[in-house]
Amino acid sequence: MNGFLVENGGMQSSIQDSGRKGFSDIGLTQSGAMDELAFGYANFLVGNAFNTPAVEIAMGGASFKARSEMCIAICGANMQPTCNGHKIALWQTYQLRRGDVIAFGFATEGQFAYIAVAGGFQTPFAYGSFSTSMKEGLGGLEGRKLKAGDFLGTLGARCPVDKRKLERKFIPKYPETITVRLLKGYQDEMFDAQAQETFFNSTYTFKGEGDRMGYRLSGEKVVPRLTGILSEPICYGAVQVPSHGEPIVLLKERQTIGGYPKIGSVIAVDCFKLAQLKVGGKVKFKEVTLQEAQRATKAFYTFFKEQEA
Amino acid sequence: MSRVYKIASESSVIVYFGSTIDPLISQEVQKSYLALKAEKCEGFFEIIPSYASLMVSYDVMHFDFDAVCEMIEKIIHHAEDIQMSEPKIITIPTYYGVEVGLDLELLAQEKNLSIEEIIALHVKGLYSVYAIGFAPGFAYLGEIDERLATSRLASPRKAVPKGSVSIADRQTAVYPSQSPGGWKVLGRTPTAMFDASYEGLSLLHVGDQVRYEPISKEEFLRRGGQL
Repeated sequence: MNGFLVENGGMQSSIQDSGRKGFSDIGLTQSGAMDELAFGYANFLVGNAFNTPAVEIAMGGASFKARSEMCIAICGANMQPTCNGHKIALWQTYQLRRGDVIAFGFATEGQFAYIAVAGGFQTPFAYGSFSTSMKEGLGGLEGRKLKAGDFLGTLGARCPVDKRKLERKFIPKYPETITVRLLKGYQDEMFDAQAQETFFNSTYTFKGEGDRMGYRLSGEKVVPRLTGILSEPICYGAVQVPSHGEPIVLLKERQTIGGYPKIGSVIAVDCFKLAQLKVGGKVKFKEVTLQEAQRATKAFYTFFKEQEA
Repeated sequence: MSRVYKIASESSVIVYFGSTIDPLISQEVQKSYLALKAEKCEGFFEIIPSYASLMVSYDVMHFDFDAVCEMIEKIIHHAEDIQMSEPKIITIPTYYGVEVGLDLELLAQEKNLSIEEIIALHVKGLYSVYAIGFAPGFAYLGEIDERLATSRLASPRKAVPKGSVSIADRQTAVYPSQSPGGWKVLGRTPTAMFDASYEGLSLLHVGDQVRYEPISKEEFLRRGGQL
């Protein structure tokens, strides 16, 4: 059978696409790739449509054995990948032969890496998506992270062209300090002028309190007028502030409804950047207009749509 | 009633119908949710109802904020006039034994009621599904008798058993699967709340009504309940 054998699942590797749609009203989380940019580039390089399932590797430590010929690309966090012990580059395609072993160390830059394979991984489709929601135990491979012995079927396709490399100008960087754009909304009026000034002028630190559900950021406390609200739907990127006063940015595996005040939401394309922030990384929030926020989202998805055409 | 449209994110709009738990407001949310769902609008990714609000996540390729608000308003404008069909009433068989009703004794002390009185108060209610969230199939039901209203556990449990029938504030819910949680547990149901074999996956949907039916330990076990 054509495919990829998991030799070591690493810290947390899972099958992801861009996420679930249409099941939030019965409580299913969106899930999906934490960084859709690296995910999208990996698929683009091997000639796949944008929303093709890929392997997401969190932090590193994973290894895989090709059981057949296949074309792969690795994008995202730099986990010093090797093929049969030889260092290989990110952001380009590789034609693997049967028996080749791809192994990852631990991320020196970024948090999440993606392996895309030409033709896509042939994994189960559940509730409108290939994505794994690990907290819910749904989707992907039995709703869990990958472990040694798992087999990920592939189509055994060859690379679309000999070697495809992402142009240098497109390769993202993962700096230790990032600025993310925030669109005010939800209960923004519950944060008075002083609280908002503090929020937008502070530098927050990601101390590693977080996972695929969301990241808590430490720093200047921002206290909303009320500590709780009637539970309401939560969108991707929503920034909630519980009574401890430290913002939590809700990401792909967030709960669908919740009762903490929210100042607004980090725009999608900047959530992808935030996802890649390493422990100890710094975050600044910058207010953005709705028009600019929508422009950024449109530009992102238009870019990948055009690559498909 | 007046509705307030607010930005949730660049691709989500939240519509507020009020700010309290109120059966009338909730019914308006439910009617609007059903109307929006029935419309199957291209470019609406998610329609999530809650107690007094509803969120639509949309495709920014299709809509800008004003256009999406207009579209939603057009659809829900007449939702108030929708004659809701009789709500579906779903009965949840529940075993209220102390070995599964992990907080019955604590609650009896706290409320100065007997365990039997607590069970009777919980069973007599006909509850509405206000929202589903927290976990797949986790339905927020309300409202329980004021005499049962209780705070969440000071330190949440790391693992609330699957099927636990629980209460918090004036709400009640069943944990569809084992998960961390701080609601106080009164009993356990053998009925699955979320199952791939159900039409719509979740046993309960927003707008349904729920009744708890006390069953014996033998019945609980016979129906596949796990102690």
